[in-house]
Amino acid sequence: MGSGAFNMSELPYSDAKPVGAADFYFAINATFRFILQRSGSDGLRRYWTDLGANYFAPVTAAWKLRGLNGVAAYWRAFFAAEPGSDVSVRQTEDAVVLDVKVCPAIRHLREHGREIVPCFCQHCYFINEAMAKPAGLMVRVEGGNGSCRQTFLRRGPATAEQDLAQIKEAAC
Amino acid sequence: MLGVYDFCGHYEWTFEWLRQQGGEPLVREFWDAAIHQDSQWHAVQLILGKGFAGMQEYWSHTLAHEGAGYHTTATDQVFRIDMHACPSKGFLIRNGLEQYRDYCDHCMGWIGPLLRRGGFVVDHQHNHCGQCWWEIRHATDATTPSRPGELSGERDVRLRPEWELGAKPMDTYSRATDPDDKQV
Repeated sequence: MGSGAFNMSELPYSDAKPVGAADFYFAINATFRFILQRSGSDGLRRYWTDLGANYFAPVTAAWKLRGLNGVAAYWRAFFAAEPGSDVSVRQTEDAVVLDVKVCPAIRHLREHGREIVPCFCQHCYFINEAMAKPAGLMVRVEGGNGSCRQTFLRRGPATAEQDLAQIKEAAC
Repeated sequence: MLGVYDFCGHYEWTFEWLRQQGGEPLVREFWDAAIHQDSQWHAVQLILGKGFAGMQEYWSHTLAHEGAGYHTTATDQVFRIDMHACPSKGFLIRNGLEQYRDYCDHCMGWIGPLLRRGGFVVDHQHNHCGQCWWEIRHATDATTPSRPGELSGERDVRLRPEWELGAKPMDTYSRATDPDDKQV
């Protein structure tokens, strides 16, 4: 994590240990595969959107209150608690940009030879967009498969839709 | 991004989401197919390949990584876990997260089918407060569960003064391999 200062109290849920257990990425990947196999792409996207809108509602509330300052603070704290991540968080007047140099999930899954769900990287768009939208924000994702750029912006009337083709398929 | 720092929170949330989509059978299918047969295949390899030694190896690694307060006891006939501070249930309690009716069932949900494949059965109790015990034996061994303190001495979780003081009734499994083998 290359972004300097962070504060764990920016996260909505707190644990006794400072960093999560990386093997849980196995379960996240397996959960996506399970839902995809039983409910298809639409079902998996619905799961991601529901997760973003409900489980992460406390994050949305903080972003509503604090705008892009809240977005930057959240992601700095978030990536500080993810094992093996290398991410910089830059804030400008109009945007917060996450430069994910090393995605901790893809890295760990690859290191352990796990078959990665090809659409794995789309979860960042669908979950983050569901978190951002009620706060008047949006996210656009480019790249994937181990490194990507995620840009959070204020939502405007002329906002172009996310082009899912800009998000790479993941592979071992 | 979905992270691992608060994994137990969105994992528990997912149980209830699945239940609303397909009822309890879908939740059980998830624990078996996604967790036992996919996510935890490293556990499958160790436990089916090495038996009690594999259990020691798997749980020593995973519980230490998750920051659990636990004790294991292994003999040639039995593998016992005394969980004094379950890291995942503790996380949920501390953060006030409870979507699904009994988070603790997920352990029997994936471990039970795995042990059945290996020819084992489990005696188990959990008190819904982040404390539980497991005794795993070969299915051909008719030995009944140990008395408190008999196998793990003073580290037996049943000797804790708060063991039976939880607000919810204790869940008990006897020679079980299925989350629905529960006796409340």
